[in-house]
Amino acid sequence: MAATAAAALMALALALIFFYVPNDADQGYSQRIFYFHVPIAITTYCLFGWGAVNAARYLWKRDPSLDLKSYVPMHLGVIFGSLTLVTGSIWANISWGTWWFWGDTQLTTFLIIFLFNCAYFMLRFSVEAGERRATYSAVYALLGVGLIPLSVLGVRFAQSNELIHPITFNSNGANMDGSMFLTFLVALSAMLTLAVTMYLVELRGKRIDDRLRTIRRLAEGRA
Amino acid sequence: MRAYRALLRKDMLLELRGRELVPAMLAFVLGALLLVRFGLGGETQAGGTRAATGLLWVVVVFTSLLALVRSFAQEREHGIWDGILSAPIDRAAIWAARSTATIAFLVITQAVALPLFWLFFLQDGRSPSLWVLACALLLADLGVAMLGSLLAGLASQVQAREVLLPVLFLPFAVPLVTVAVRVTVNTISPQTSGFSTFEGLGFLALYDTIFGLLGWALFEYVVED
Amino acid sequence: MSSPEPALVVCRGLVRRFGERAALDGVSLELAAGETLLLTGGNGAGKTTLLRVLATVLRPHAGAVSVAGHELPRQARAVRPLIGYVGHEPLVYPSLTALENLELYASLHGRSAESCRPALAMVGLERRRNDRAADLSRGMRQRLALARAWLHQPALLLLDEPTAGLDGEGRELLNGMLDEHRGAALVATHEPDRFAGRELRLRDGRVAA
Repeated sequence: MAATAAAALMALALALIFFYVPNDADQGYSQRIFYFHVPIAITTYCLFGWGAVNAARYLWKRDPSLDLKSYVPMHLGVIFGSLTLVTGSIWANISWGTWWFWGDTQLTTFLIIFLFNCAYFMLRFSVEAGERRATYSAVYALLGVGLIPLSVLGVRFAQSNELIHPITFNSNGANMDGSMFLTFLVALSAMLTLAVTMYLVELRGKRIDDRLRTIRRLAEGRA
Repeated sequence: MRAYRALLRKDMLLELRGRELVPAMLAFVLGALLLVRFGLGGETQAGGTRAATGLLWVVVVFTSLLALVRSFAQEREHGIWDGILSAPIDRAAIWAARSTATIAFLVITQAVALPLFWLFFLQDGRSPSLWVLACALLLADLGVAMLGSLLAGLASQVQAREVLLPVLFLPFAVPLVTVAVRVTVNTISPQTSGFSTFEGLGFLALYDTIFGLLGWALFEYVVED
Repeated sequence: MSSPEPALVVCRGLVRRFGERAALDGVSLELAAGETLLLTGGNGAGKTTLLRVLATVLRPHAGAVSVAGHELPRQARAVRPLIGYVGHEPLVYPSLTALENLELYASLHGRSAESCRPALAMVGLERRRNDRAADLSRGMRQRLALARAWLHQPALLLLDEPTAGLDGEGRELLNGMLDEHRGAALVATHEPDRFAGRELRLRDGRVAA
């Protein structure tokens, strides 16, 4: 279900991006990467948010399936996060002529989040599977909720006058015309549906893994 | 409160008896600053000040890791956790006592590190406003200690804790160091751009508040099994 | 169940896992307020795990456990003042003196420093109270551990092989302490003949028939 929706939306988004939307006035054809970069970045944040929500729910309810529901979005977040860094870097090269610009708040923040994520996986891989690993992962994920806004604030704050990241949304709403906004919305929903699909698939895979392990343990106990 | 005082007294007594942290931290800070001094090759003018300040803060962070890695070392090595955890106390008190002890060790270390920093890098007339720098260091220590005690609790139950703790801690140090360096540089050579020292210190206070609350709320989950 | 006095400790189908292995696999038992229960069983039978669950340092994974009507793990806070726990390790800081260790635990339990004296006297450590725990012999440290668990007059003593390292005099002190103790006691031991009380045998995390 979700997979079909994701495929259809993705096809529609690609069609709109490459054939429908007009060239950007300043940046020309290459500005189209915007329709990938920004939705991917937003999806990454959503994945983290969902991971953190489930982490909090895990600490509350102690249901092992919530641990998986917290781990899987974090894991997907790494994939989408890497894609954000790559597309961002490409865009930076196109419009600013450099692969990486330290003065940019969003790019740098993303790097911190990426680092945080790597640490999350280090932690997860150093603890034996079980209740303790689930608890530790949940605690660390919740610390990330504190880290993300602080990074945004801190990095922006320390580089207050070097801001060059294009501002797409401001208090007056979207800073683009109708066709662009439509394309953006379609691309965003395509990305989000894709993430949801991947989430469901991976979750199912992990559950099957768990069940297999239980069966194997029972079989060994019998033998 | 009573448990907090008793545990803090215990942490201080242990350090007084064992002397395993403060001397090591002092030696480390001296060595690291010397290394920075030689690494920069005497380049203390203009850009050098900023580099030296950045490195000062990096040294501060790494020194605090020394203290954090040894947090709860006695409890772990001698299996004392069961005794502390079966006592009728609020487990956040364990975290609060450990954070306070860490702050004390950091302040002692920095009381030595700051004059050295001045001696090595800033002698030629320019010196930072001592009050601002002391405030920034204190606020940073608070954040590092509160967050660090929680992470040390996490890492203390893991095999490769000495390796894991820095990995867990460093992402959180990035925003802290970013702002702290800006504040410090600004007091050494004030910039006209719209940077406000107070806002910088305010950011550090916000950092402390957030991780103070998180540490207080989450520590219980870290130590239970 | 039908006893007139409600049981102090009630376990029903208690399960505790480590990783995938169940150290306790459905243990049920009851302990009345003044009773002494001797836990026996080979190594790895689950004695220590059971004591640690009751000491509120391990969470039960399934089943119901309650101490004095307070359910674990939810009401662990209400249970902690009632228990005195002696584990495999003496649970004292080696670089603190015997007295300092006791004072620490006394204040964690909300007792005055004065309450340490009778506890020290009971285990015969008065003369060595200013020695560091690290300088005490194994048997002496075990006595210190007994004093630590005893000093707040717990309603439930949880003793994990309390005779380990104790000499003849130490064992007598321990028996004297159990006689004087008015609450219940759960003692894991390999030498059930040394104590008076009902015996409960564990095997592979279950109560052996």
